[in-house]
Amino acid sequence: MRLLTHNMLSSNIRGVVNGFPLGIEAEKVVEREVELSAEFLRGVFPKIEWGALVAGARALGHPDLLPGEADASMLASDDFLRRFHRALLQLHVEEGALVCPETGRRFPINKGIPNMLLHEDEV
Amino acid sequence: MGTLLPTCEPSLPQLRPRGRSSWWTEWRRGVPAPARAGAQSPSGVASASASAEGLRKGIAEFYDESSGLWERVWGDHMHHGFYDPHAPASLADHRAAQIRMVEEALSFAALSDDPQKKPKRIVDVGCGIGGSSRYLAKKYGAQCKGITLSPVQAQRAEALAIAEGLADKVSFQVADALEQPFPDGQFDLVWSMESGEHMPDKRKFVGELARVAAPGATIIIVTWCHRDLLPSESSLRPDEINLLNKICTAYYLPAWCSAADYVNIAKSLSLEDIRTADWSENVAPFWPAVIRSALTWRGFTSLLRSGWKTIRGALVMPLMMEGYNKKLIKFAIITCRKPE
Repeated sequence: MRLLTHNMLSSNIRGVVNGFPLGIEAEKVVEREVELSAEFLRGVFPKIEWGALVAGARALGHPDLLPGEADASMLASDDFLRRFHRALLQLHVEEGALVCPETGRRFPINKGIPNMLLHEDEV
Repeated sequence: MGTLLPTCEPSLPQLRPRGRSSWWTEWRRGVPAPARAGAQSPSGVASASASAEGLRKGIAEFYDESSGLWERVWGDHMHHGFYDPHAPASLADHRAAQIRMVEEALSFAALSDDPQKKPKRIVDVGCGIGGSSRYLAKKYGAQCKGITLSPVQAQRAEALAIAEGLADKVSFQVADALEQPFPDGQFDLVWSMESGEHMPDKRKFVGELARVAAPGATIIIVTWCHRDLLPSESSLRPDEINLLNKICTAYYLPAWCSAADYVNIAKSLSLEDIRTADWSENVAPFWPAVIRSALTWRGFTSLLRSGWKTIRGALVMPLMMEGYNKKLIKFAIITCRKPE
């Protein structure tokens, strides 16, 4: 699971008011290189919840990868683009869990696939 | 909604053999009971959560078990092909027909050709092994998230995405279409290709599609339905219900509804530009082709190696043909837009 995906997942457990962002327990993280597309990064930047991305990168063991805040002007910098790209697309949580921010309920990640199925009493 | 019938009774699966030899019953052991329609009120709304859990588990296990076989014989699209009515189709045409189905659905929804307006974030609800996800991601250069109940399918979908160099564009999650794990308004194209038939609560299903759709997004549903009821009817005929029951059991399908029901649900959710069409004639060659493929040596031996659920699914294929021939089963497309 990449942080791009994490940026779009939320906990929909009944009664939870704000299920985003999910916490990340990263047990196994791998990095896979993928070609950088500046066009894509510029296009996706406005849709990214930056705080969640920063927290995600920290949880994956890269606390200094991203600046605490970001704005669109930083997209002109190659260094920023590389960091953004790496955090968003290259880091993968293979094993671990996503954690509901309100209930603490863990959604397991196995072989890179998060399992977001709710139990009967959570619906 | 009078047509959301409890067509899937908790009665014995019609195909259950009686007094057969032990190898048959051996396979049957451990098959979870399909959704018990005793849990459904006459209005058709499934209420008991235990039955919903059982249905989800049944669906997941069915696809965990049968996905591999399907893929070996049919490739990565797990949906009907789209054919010109009455045109003969050779086996080689079917793969192209499955791709044509995707294109026809996009066309029908009148997605804009304007490159500025092409979808950038797509959700594939009931994604199978990701055939549609990968196709749409490639076509539009978009990000696509697929959800499926089957962990085996999610893994396979991911592996295929990596193999096709699409790992940065598509991702797959094990999740329930009735509780999509996304915040509101995330996607500009919401895609459900032949997954609606598995949803026990059609209103909730369409409600979730609408919830995760961004303002102005297009929602495309392609699904099996039963025929629209006549104004004088309050239900399908008993023989029709009987036929659908048998199919439901084998394919882990809860109650069927009609295309008109979907349209009414969309209206009640204030969705706009609602269109629907009956594509039953365009998919007519599909089931005979699937049956023929099962009867080839490779299809047959693969089937024998699969579990009981897959075999039962195969045995029920002629019933699908019967349903189509009787104009009871319809293949429908319903598209609409989330208001801006």
